[in-house]
Parts: sequence; structure tokens; C-alpha cells
Amino acid sequence: MRTRLNACLDAVNQVLLGKEPQVRLALACLLARGHLLIEDLPGMGKTTLSHALARVLGLSFQRIQFTSDLLPGDILGTSVFDRESGQFLFHPGPIFAELVLADEINRATPKSQSALLEAMEEGQVTIEGATRPLPDPFFVIATQNPVSQGGTFALPESQLDRFLMRLSLGYPAKAAEKALLLGDSRRSLLPRLEAILDHAELALIQAEVPRVRASDALIDYVLRLVDATRSQPQFAWGLSPRASLALLAAARAWAFLDGRDYVIPEDVQAVLPAVVGHRLRERSDPAGHGGGALVQWLLREVPAL
Amino acid sequence: MSGPAVIPRISLTWLLVAQLLVIVPHLSHLPLWIVGLWLGCAAWRIQILRMRAGYPNAWVKAGLMLGVAVGVLLSRGSLIGLDAGVVLLVAAFILKLLEMRTRRDALVVIFLGFFVVVSAYLFDDSLLAALFSLLPVTALLAALIGLQQSGVAAQPWATARLAAGLLLQAVPLMLLLFVFFPRMGPLWSLPLPSERALSGLAESMAPADIAELSRSGGLAFRASFTGEVPPREQLYWRALTFEHFDGRRWSQSAFARLPLAPAWEKQGEPLRYSILMQPSSQSWLFALDVAETSLENTRQMSDYRLQRGRPVERTLLYQVTSWPAAVREPAGSSDNLRRALQLPEDGDPRSRAWGAELKRQYPQPEQLVQAVLGHFNREPFGYTLRPPRLGLNSIDDFLFETRNGFCAHYAGAMTFVLRAAGIPARVVAGYQGGEYNPGGDYVQVRQFDAHAWVEYWQTGKGWVSVDPTFQVAPERIEQGLEEALGDEQSFLEDSPFSPLRYRQLTWLNQLRLGWDNLNHGWQRLVLGYQGAQQLQLLQRWFGRIDARVLALSLVGGGGLLLGLLALWLFKPWRRERDPQQRLFQRFERLLARHAVQRQPGEGARAFAERASLALPVQAQVIQDFAAAFEAQRYGGDGVCPAALRAHLALLRRALPWRSAATRDP
Amino acid sequence: MRQQLKQRWQRWLGRRIPPAASVRLSQRRIFIVPTRVGLAFALALLLMLLTAINYQNSLAYALTFLLASVFIVAILHTYRNLAGLMLKAAGARPVFVGEQGQLRLRLESSARAHQAIALGWPGTAYQTRDVPAQGVSECELSLPALRRGWLRAGRLRVESRFPLGLLVAWSWVDLDQALLVYPQPLEGELPLVAGADDQLDEQGMRALGPGSEDFQGLKSYQPGDSKRRLHWKAYSRGQGLLVKDFAALSGRDPWLDFEALTGDVELRLSLLCHWVLQLSERQQPFALRLPGQLLAPASGEQHRDACLRALALFGTPG
Repeated sequence: MRTRLNACLDAVNQVLLGKEPQVRLALACLLARGHLLIEDLPGMGKTTLSHALARVLGLSFQRIQFTSDLLPGDILGTSVFDRESGQFLFHPGPIFAELVLADEINRATPKSQSALLEAMEEGQVTIEGATRPLPDPFFVIATQNPVSQGGTFALPESQLDRFLMRLSLGYPAKAAEKALLLGDSRRSLLPRLEAILDHAELALIQAEVPRVRASDALIDYVLRLVDATRSQPQFAWGLSPRASLALLAAARAWAFLDGRDYVIPEDVQAVLPAVVGHRLRERSDPAGHGGGALVQWLLREVPAL
Repeated sequence: MSGPAVIPRISLTWLLVAQLLVIVPHLSHLPLWIVGLWLGCAAWRIQILRMRAGYPNAWVKAGLMLGVAVGVLLSRGSLIGLDAGVVLLVAAFILKLLEMRTRRDALVVIFLGFFVVVSAYLFDDSLLAALFSLLPVTALLAALIGLQQSGVAAQPWATARLAAGLLLQAVPLMLLLFVFFPRMGPLWSLPLPSERALSGLAESMAPADIAELSRSGGLAFRASFTGEVPPREQLYWRALTFEHFDGRRWSQSAFARLPLAPAWEKQGEPLRYSILMQPSSQSWLFALDVAETSLENTRQMSDYRLQRGRPVERTLLYQVTSWPAAVREPAGSSDNLRRALQLPEDGDPRSRAWGAELKRQYPQPEQLVQAVLGHFNREPFGYTLRPPRLGLNSIDDFLFETRNGFCAHYAGAMTFVLRAAGIPARVVAGYQGGEYNPGGDYVQVRQFDAHAWVEYWQTGKGWVSVDPTFQVAPERIEQGLEEALGDEQSFLEDSPFSPLRYRQLTWLNQLRLGWDNLNHGWQRLVLGYQGAQQLQLLQRWFGRIDARVLALSLVGGGGLLLGLLALWLFKPWRRERDPQQRLFQRFERLLARHAVQRQPGEGARAFAERASLALPVQAQVIQDFAAAFEAQRYGGDGVCPAALRAHLALLRRALPWRSAATRDP
Repeated sequence: MRQQLKQRWQRWLGRRIPPAASVRLSQRRIFIVPTRVGLAFALALLLMLLTAINYQNSLAYALTFLLASVFIVAILHTYRNLAGLMLKAAGARPVFVGEQGQLRLRLESSARAHQAIALGWPGTAYQTRDVPAQGVSECELSLPALRRGWLRAGRLRVESRFPLGLLVAWSWVDLDQALLVYPQPLEGELPLVAGADDQLDEQGMRALGPGSEDFQGLKSYQPGDSKRRLHWKAYSRGQGLLVKDFAALSGRDPWLDFEALTGDVELRLSLLCHWVLQLSERQQPFALRLPGQLLAPASGEQHRDACLRALALFGTPG
């Protein structure tokens, strides 16, 4: 099973060059049944990454481009009067896919944002009184432009908390970019990707991940981390219990990807920047966003053993 | 939240409880009005606590103080002296509690309370009193804890538990101090508690006095023998001799006070024993004939009694060696013999005549004495504690009319007759017999064992003791007073509930003897632990004893005890109870020697990888340890320190010894 | 001489208990001596000992020794009550000059409970807290804020007299805490620079806050929204009540300018502080210009805090 997972990683890495750690984190996020937020400038490969993941995992893929005039109905679907049957027929929106790419989520109004986020949280949508389940598995990869860009509605902290991880792809390394320029168009590679896992296998792996062993000593480390954010003065606020659960789930998935059936502190440290970065804010920096320095502090100062 | 100066409610409650507990032991000797004062003040204080009354103002306080002073003056006759002092102390304790408002006042009250507890010991230092005093001490400590501003201090039982815990933890150290702290003599003389009337032998004797004593079950002394306890009928404990008879009373002669050492020769096997004597307020001691003691300030007087320089006011322990077979004054001194022949000018003509007749009949003193004893034995003499009244000629009346009496009558009459027959004789007063306590292997002698017998002088043989009572009531000597009295009911007739009356109930008797044994131990080991006793004990342990040994034992032992207590309190092993972590720390120390230091945020694997880069030769061993640690700590592998230790040993072997020392700048 | 001793003591303390955001009170950091009550207790014990000696009373000896032992055992208990306690700085809210700065502290127990822990700066009233076993207790200490800028909280005394009050165990802890003190707000003239400078007019346009000029999108109706902005078309489609959202354009926002004021620096900062607060309360966007520093027009709490911070730290290094 793990060799298949590694094959998945390799396949995606062929399409997205020089982003192994991010790809690995993204896969771990999906295995932990979490949603992913990618924050980056346009053109850094966000779409490619999500599309490639969808293909190798054999998931149906939909993309929603968020704009300021996007309405909740555009995401969830609408009922349209069908003249032939004389009834309202429900036209499912793009959210009824297994992997949804919500592009530039911060361009839409908070109303539309929250429609998506509520669906993410509950795994179902309620439209005109009828509750419709979303497919299983269901992943959302949302992308976001950096906040400093104009004309955006930043996601509030409470909404950010619903994403298991936040990643930033960043510029590719020089060698990778050269390969990119020399090789084929990346988009053209995408259709050639084969599904490596089927739904049953993915479900099996997802069921396996929570069984990865987290010993007392490891839980203590997670508690120390969380407690540090709650007690140290440089943190504007501490991590929520949901965040600590997310951290543990992500660490389990990471350990699983690493081929271990138990979590070690290094797993937690590997996922820590992605999992808690968007959940923290420095107190002395009221305007700033994200806690990169804080995460580094946590990694450095909180005793791992 | 109350300010820091206000006394917390809990502390005040404990102080009120402590006040009750502190005063109770004093009740037996405090004047009644102070109890009234106490109840009134306590009630007032409770009303203040309930906000129903105010604090006393300056006038009331002054009035109360004046009242107390006058009260002490009236009931004790003076304002100084121990009794008055204790009353004043208790009164101060009561009044201070009434007027206290601040924490400072509360501290004063608590310290006063400790003093009142100490003063109670001067009046009663029995085992029960000592145990009881732990209650007020605990309550006072609880009040002290209650003054703290803590959540615990606001819970009554938590404070009491903490106080009791502190006391319990202090006990080992207290025992150490008690044993090793050097005892010294009084620094200055202090007034002693005025004696309650102690029952016991007096310096003169009328028959009725001994009858009085026989109603008392009070303890006179206890004797523990090294070796066999002699049979009961040989236990004649001498206290005094009476040489002077005035027709009614026997008393000590004036010469008996002169410190003249008598002549005697040691013969036969000696008896060694120690006596733990109850306070008697008299200065003579008890011993079997003929006794020697090493007790300081004590000497043997001309009549073979042991006399101490000052009265026995506290329980006294002394060692005695007695030679029962010794010959006393075989040569005799004319002065002594003359005093032993003294008779009143007139009276008791029939007895005098009988004496003269006996002298004619039996020229040998020995035969004469046997004749008198035989007379008591043959004729219908009776033993009773309720003798008929005797007239003016008491000896005549007893010998020829009533013929009923007890030891004092017989001893007095026989001595009178022997003197009338020209044989020097005197009455010996003391105790006879005693009850053997098998649990503690000692003999306990009570006031009702008081006895009087006779000794006469014979050329060549010296003084010889005889007991006329034995002829009349041998069971008195062989078994004891209760048996001798039979159905008479006069035994301990004033104390119907004394356990001594119910000796036939086996379990009660066992209980009584056990309790007495406990008290005996208490008095010997605890109350008697003063100068000489301490020296003796320590010498037995250490051989020679000096200030250095004492100081070393105190400091060393104290340090040891505190160390143990600290271990028990801090439980340092708990902090490091995790063997994996401990071994990992050893692993870190090992690598730190080679300048590879783990950062706090570094996990085992990351650290091992970094260390492998720094120490490529040992990389495999380092990684092996880290992997094993990881598998045990985070994986499903069970905890197995041995495996980790094995890896650690491999690493230690692989690492060059102290290479870091050279590599370090 | 005294001064010198004090300095050496401070240096020594600094080495022994270096400033840190969290300090665990360990053996090396705790000092213990008898209190005045303890000395009085010792005196009382001495008197009891004299009584015991003079009356040759074994029980009086025993009680004296028992209480003396309790005294000694209390050393361990008092020390234990403080040992292992973890003190952490838990941040502080900025205050204005003349207010009492509140510094928050967390007391954490890793194992046993700690009773009656008193905290405070020497010469002030101490606060007392209990820390439950493996629990946390928070405490706020106030410190007068006299000057703007960073206010450093110095060494803090932590002490405990529990259980008997006969001994005091204490430590001096520097939690490396600092508190931002804003200038004292002072009512006065509005130091306005005409924000409507021609050249600034166009550049200064930003979509900021609710306004009426530029259509931003639709948002759900909240009571109080203007009825004129209701999006009736959407309502007829059954999408519920939506209002058209417009953003205000800036450009005519007031500029608070340090140079526009005259007088003492502190006085000017105080005036600016007052207006920063006033304008923020009205939710009016504004800009702040200090020599060498410009905060662009904006509104909201973050902007206000940034302005106040700039005022507080004006002219101070760092």
C-alpha cells in the first residue's frame, strides 16, 4: 500500500517540479481527511498540484473560481424549473465533486466563502430545505492570494481554523524552473497521469491513518506545544483543541506516509508549520498575519522529549 | 477578601477549641472563679464572632485585669509563686483571646497557649496527661496554620490534618533531641507547685494512721529486681523507725536526725534492685534491709533508713543494693540501746507487769520474744482494720481487753512489752509485700501495703526483726491485706470503684496490671530521664560520653533524620521515574562529551542524525540506540531498559575515551 | 558603599536567576530564613526550655523539643511549597501614561499544590494565590505607568510562608516582561493637515470601509441597512434579502500631523494620541504623520494600535 502511495507522490512530483515537501504535506493532509489552504501568488502551480492529486488518487475534480460576484448558489447548486416535468430540478453545483479546487477564495464575499466552508465542515449541503450529502471522499483545496493584494476579503480566523493545513508553494528552485522551461507544458502532462489508487484503497488508507500509534510521550509533546502557545506572551492567542486534534491527525498521516505505524516528535515537527502557521498570530504585531516566527520558536524551544 | 491583619475565622475557631483543651488539665487546681471567667469570656468572644457584641473597651479590660489580680490575691494569698503564676498565666490567656483583633494578637495567644500547656506538666506529668496535651498542641498549630492566607487554611479539617502531620513528622527529631540534649541542673531555684496532701507514712504513728493508709490504693513505689524477685514474706520495706513512745503515739527520736553512720557487716548474697518512688513530700526512701544506694545527697542514718537531703517532690528513681543477712550493730552502742528501752513515766501497769514476769520466766531474750509471739498466736487475737476503741491505757486495753487490731497495734504492744522486760526494741514502719506485675517484672507497692513491725537487740546478734502480725494473720504477710481482712469490707472502703477492689475479675486485673506496667515504663524511661539516667544510657551506648560525642550525635542524627524526611517529602525518584528518559539523558551526556549537544526542540531521530554526521565512525551505534529508544517510547515495543542499556554500552565502547577533551577549545 | 553592595547583589542575582519569560523555582533559586514570627517562636521555645531545665520536667523538655522539631520540619515544608513552581509571563495590555499597567503572570504547578504564594514588587502590597496540584493560577500585578515607551517590570519577589508563617522562602524573579505605555491623551486642537491636497487626492483613494461610492458586491441584509440599497432582483429570485455593498473611498480623510502642532514633544504626542482615539471611535479613517514615519490612512483597531504604538515609541530607540 505504501509503495502505491510513494508512486502517487512520484507521479505528482513529475508534474510539479521541486516541490516534494509541499506535495507530501498536501497528500498527508488529504489522508488525514483535512482540507488544504494554499496561499500563494497566481501562477505558482496551485491548480496543477490539485489537479495532479485528483488524477493520481482517482478523484473527480471540479474547480470553482471565486470572484466577488460569486453567489452561494453558484457553488452549491440551484433548483431550476423544468418545464417538461413541471417540477423544480436540482442542478448540483461544482461542490459535488470529490476534490474541489476553490480558487482565490478570498476574492469572494464572506457570504459565498461561508457557504463553502460550512459544506466543508459538515460534509453535506442544505439547499432549499433539502439536505444533500457530499461525496465521500470529499476534499477542498482552497487557494488564496496573499492578503496584501487589494480587493480581497481575508478569511477570518474562525474560518482559517477549518483548514487542516496552510501551505505556500513559493518560487521554484532554479534547477526546477529550468527543467520547467525546457520540458513539456506541465498542463499537457496532466491528462497523461493515471489513477494509481482507487476509491476502496483510499478509504482503506484513510481508515488506517487514525490507527497510527501516538504514545503517551508523544501526546505529552503535543500538549507541551499547545500549552506553550497558550501561556507564552508573544502569542496573541493559543491554539484551540481543534488545532491540537488537527496537529495529531496530520502527524499520524505524515508518519503513515513515512512507513511507520507510530508517530515520533519529528512527524509533529514536520507538519507543525503547515498546521499551526495560520492559526497563530504574534501579539506584538497586530497587523501581521501568520506565525512563521512563532512556529520556529515552538520548534526550537519546546522540549521534544 | 479580608485584610492581612484580620484573624481568619478558622484560626479563631481553632483558638477557641485550643483554649478549652489547654484549660481542661488545669481544672483540678484552678480556683473556681477562673472557670467562670473563662466561660464568660469564651461566650463573649463567640458573640463578637457572630457580630452580636463588640470588643471590650479599655475600661472593661482594665477592670477585668484588676479583678483577676484581686482574685488571685484572694485565692492564692499572693501574686507570686508558681500557683499564683499559673493562675495569672491562664487568666492572661483567657483575656488576651477575648481582646485579640489582629494576627499579631493571635500569635501572642498561640504562644501563651504553649506556655499554659507546659505549666500543666508541672502539676500532672502522667502518661495520660502527656497524651492529652497533644490535642491542645495540635489545635494551637492548626490555629497558626489558619492564620495563613491560603485555601487550605480556610478548611478546618485540612488545617488540623496538616498540623497533626507536622507534629508526626517532627517526632523522630524530637526523640533525638530528647535523648541527646544534655540535661543540666536547675539554673536557679523556682517555686514548686504547693503539694496536694499526699497520703503516706508520717513521722509519727498512732495505730489509726495506718488504718487510714490502708484505705488508699495510691501507689507508693515500684521495685524492679535484677534477678529473682524474693518471696513476698521477705519484702519488708523499711522507711522509718519509731523509738519514742508517749503513751499514745510512737514517734522518731530526736537523735534519729543526726547523721551517724551505723555499724554493720555485709554478709550473704546481696539483692540488687531499683526503686521508682512516687512523690511523698518526705525525705526518707524505701529499701529492704540493709540497704546501700549510690543516689547522690542520700545517706544511711543510724536506724538504717535511707535519708535524702531534700524531700521527694517528683518521681524518683534510685538503685539499691541490700544485704538481707547482714548483722547490724552486734556490739551495740549504749546511747542507742538506752533510747530503745524508753518507756513513758507511767500508765499501762498490766503490760509492764507482764513484761517483768516474762523476764523472770525467760532469761534469754530469744526465748522471751518467742513467748510473746506464741502468746499472740495462742490467745484469741484478731486482725481487723476496725478495731474497738481503746482507753487511756491503750496497750493494756489492747493486750488484755479488746485483743483486736492490726499491725500497728501488735508492733506497738510487743515493743512496749519487750522494753518492759528490759530488751531494747523499736517499731519499724514501712511497707510489707507488694503486688508482682508479671508483665513488667516488678513489684508495685501501694499505700495499703503500709505495715509496722518490731526489731529488738540482742548481744552478738545485733538488731533482729520480728513481725507479731504474722502470728495473728499470716495471710496478711503471705497474700496481702485484702485476703487478711476476709469479709470485713473495710478494704479500700472509700473507693468503691477502684479497680483494685475487683482483682478477682481476671480481665480487669490484667488490664490494671498492664496499665500500671505502662505507667512504670513511662516514669522510668521518660519522666526519670534526667541527668544521671541520661548519662547511664548514653554510656551504655557509646562507652565514654563527652560534649563532642553529644554534639556529633545531635548534628549527625538530626541531619540524617531531616535527610530522610526530605527524601520522603520530595520523592526525587518520582521525577526521574521514567527509565527511558533517564537512559536517554545518559546517551545525551555521552555525546555531549564529544561536543554534540542536543537542542531542546530536537527529537531523538534528528539528534541522532546530527550526531552521526559529527561522529561518522560511531554513526551505526548512535542510530541503533535512537531507533531502539524511538521504538520503545513511541512505537508499540514494551518498555525494556535492558535493551537500551545494551545499546548504550555498545556506544560507550565505540566512543573514544574523552576525545572531546582534546578536541574542545 | 551601600549602593555598591546593592549593585553586586543585583549582578549576582542576574547570574543566578537570569531574566527569562518562564522561570522554574529550583533549589538554587530559593532562599529561606525565619520570619519575625519565627524569631518570636524561637524565643518562646527558649523560655520553655528554661522552664524545663529549672523544673527538671521531662515533659516540658519533650514539648519544647517537639515544637523545635516542628520548626525545623517546617523549613522543608516551606521550601517545598515554593520549589518546583513555574512562573511565566502571560503578557500585558498596553496602557496610557498615568494608568496602572497590568502584568499578567501564570503560576503553574507540575506536581504538588502550592499554597499561599505571595507575589509583588518590594514595597507594594503582595498578592496571594494558591496553585492547585498540576494546575494553573493567574495573577495580575499592577505597575504604575509613568513614562511612555516600554516599561520594564523589574525583579519580582515571590515568597511563601506556608504552612506555619515561621519561615519565609523567597526568590527574586525577572520574567523579562515589558509593557507598552502610550502617551497620555490630551484634549486639544485637531492637528489637521488638509488631506485634500490635490496630489494626494487621487493616490489616496482606497477601498476602505463602508461607503457609497464603489460597488463592492452583495451582502446579506442586516437590520439597519439602507432600504435603498436592497437588491430587489435577487429577492425576487428567492435568494433572500441582499443589499448592494459599496465601499467608501478615502482621500478626504484627516491627516494627523506632528509638525502641524507646536510645543513640547510630549504635549504634541498627547494631543495626537487623543485624536487617534477620537477618530478611531468614530470609525473615521485617518492618517498619522510623525517625523520620519507615515501611517497611511486607514481605520479599524489594527490601525489604531499601530498609530498608538508609533506614538508611544516615538523618539525611543527600538
